[in-house]
Amino acid sequence: MNLFLVLLLGTATPAFAAEELVLIVSAGSSIDELDSTAVRKLFLGLTVQRSGRRLHPLLNESDAELKEIFLQNIVSMSDSTYDRYVLQLSLQQGHTQPLVYRSNAQLISGVAADPAAVSYAWRKDVEHDGRIRVLRVVWHD
Amino acid sequence: MTRSWRARLFAALLTAFAAHTAFAGHEQSSSEFEVFVAGEALAGAGQPHPRSDDAWFNADVIFGLTHDQFRVFGEFYVVPGEHDLQRFQVGYELVPETLLWLGRFQQPASAWNTEHHHGRYLQTAITRPSIEDWEDEEGFLPQHIAGALIESRHQLGSDGVLMSGGIGAAPALSSDRYQPVTLVDNNPGRHGRALAAQIAYLPEYVGTSSAGLLWARDQLFVRDPIALASLHSNHATLTIYGAYADWGVEPWRFIGAGYYVDVDLDNPTRDESFVSGYVQAERQLAHRLTAFARIEDSSRMQESRYVALFKDHSGDIDITARRIAAGLRWDYARRQALSCEFSHVVSLQQRRAYELRLQWSAAVP
Repeated sequence: MNLFLVLLLGTATPAFAAEELVLIVSAGSSIDELDSTAVRKLFLGLTVQRSGRRLHPLLNESDAELKEIFLQNIVSMSDSTYDRYVLQLSLQQGHTQPLVYRSNAQLISGVAADPAAVSYAWRKDVEHDGRIRVLRVVWHD
Repeated sequence: MTRSWRARLFAALLTAFAAHTAFAGHEQSSSEFEVFVAGEALAGAGQPHPRSDDAWFNADVIFGLTHDQFRVFGEFYVVPGEHDLQRFQVGYELVPETLLWLGRFQQPASAWNTEHHHGRYLQTAITRPSIEDWEDEEGFLPQHIAGALIESRHQLGSDGVLMSGGIGAAPALSSDRYQPVTLVDNNPGRHGRALAAQIAYLPEYVGTSSAGLLWARDQLFVRDPIALASLHSNHATLTIYGAYADWGVEPWRFIGAGYYVDVDLDNPTRDESFVSGYVQAERQLAHRLTAFARIEDSSRMQESRYVALFKDHSGDIDITARRIAAGLRWDYARRQALSCEFSHVVSLQQRRAYELRLQWSAAVP
């Protein structure tokens, strides 16, 4: 009976239960910390600098669930509000919008190649990649 | 010759900025290229002809380049039979979020235009409030300055303050429209000094809500005999005092602005003033639908000889004194929307009209 309950609970657990969304930079980046306000500013298109360099936000849209967690936990806006906000900012002050990656592999290569790039990904997708450094956990189940 | 020169300039700018991805990976450089397009259909009763803002098609091309602290930004607006370089600015970011721009820019004392610009996709309603109309679309307040603009955003804890101030050349005044300084053509007439400022409180430094005060003063020189005869003055100073709020509490958003406009003519006994304002409410619904409604009203505009100057002399188009509008927007795909809007308009001549508009708008890519 106990074994049956354990199996049942295990089956009921969502597939992403053990997932962690992490903030990532290139392994060669000098960025050592970014608090949640700085991360929100960065992904809303405002200027964030570290060591005199402007940071580059890269949007990870490789899966829908990841995007939803980004909208809820990083920018705290609905999809359409966020989209119109970054469009408006580009019209108002000439800010450039964050680059969008729809492939995880391309995103990781993009982050690895740019020491000023900041993005986010599932921990399982980056933890064994020597080109990437995890700054901190943004969300976990 | 001028058109050809403009076309070559535009083609060169497009070529330079369309290579979005080429710049994307370049260290410390990034570029922006966006096209806002819209198509509109209008039906109604009472209004003799569509307004200039009701072209069946329009495209607003935005291009920008950021390299370290330097920025270049432009906006090219196209409607059938007309195109214009609305903005072209070269900027330097003095400190993060404080920018000094030189060029032609939108005056910062307009609450609506600093948020929505020409891009129809960005505004929920199809129409813009009458007081916010562009100079070349029956607008009777100057909207562009050629000169210097400083924009600064400061964080105060979790709140923020946004300040903008512009100084430069005001438009010249002709019989039915302003002639702002153009960067790619002749500039006939005398251009006086323009000053404009906005200070806004941001309840969240990186949020979407803001409320603030607006102020502008434009010295306008009359450049044709019809306008001179109407005003009995070769010079007017327009002073605009305004306040606005753009407040979002999802799923609601409220936008409101009020303007007091003082018109100072050469003869002091003929000075005049008028007031105009609007309130718009929006509510996000299920299925990516947004309902909206707006009320616009004005006072003393009917008596203003200055406002009368901007009437279409053929009588085809009236200036809107009051409007009630309501509609629905459907964001049916990423960066594409269908909207419908029904409005009841009362013109300066007290003519009433009912208008139904349908619009498709998009931002590409």
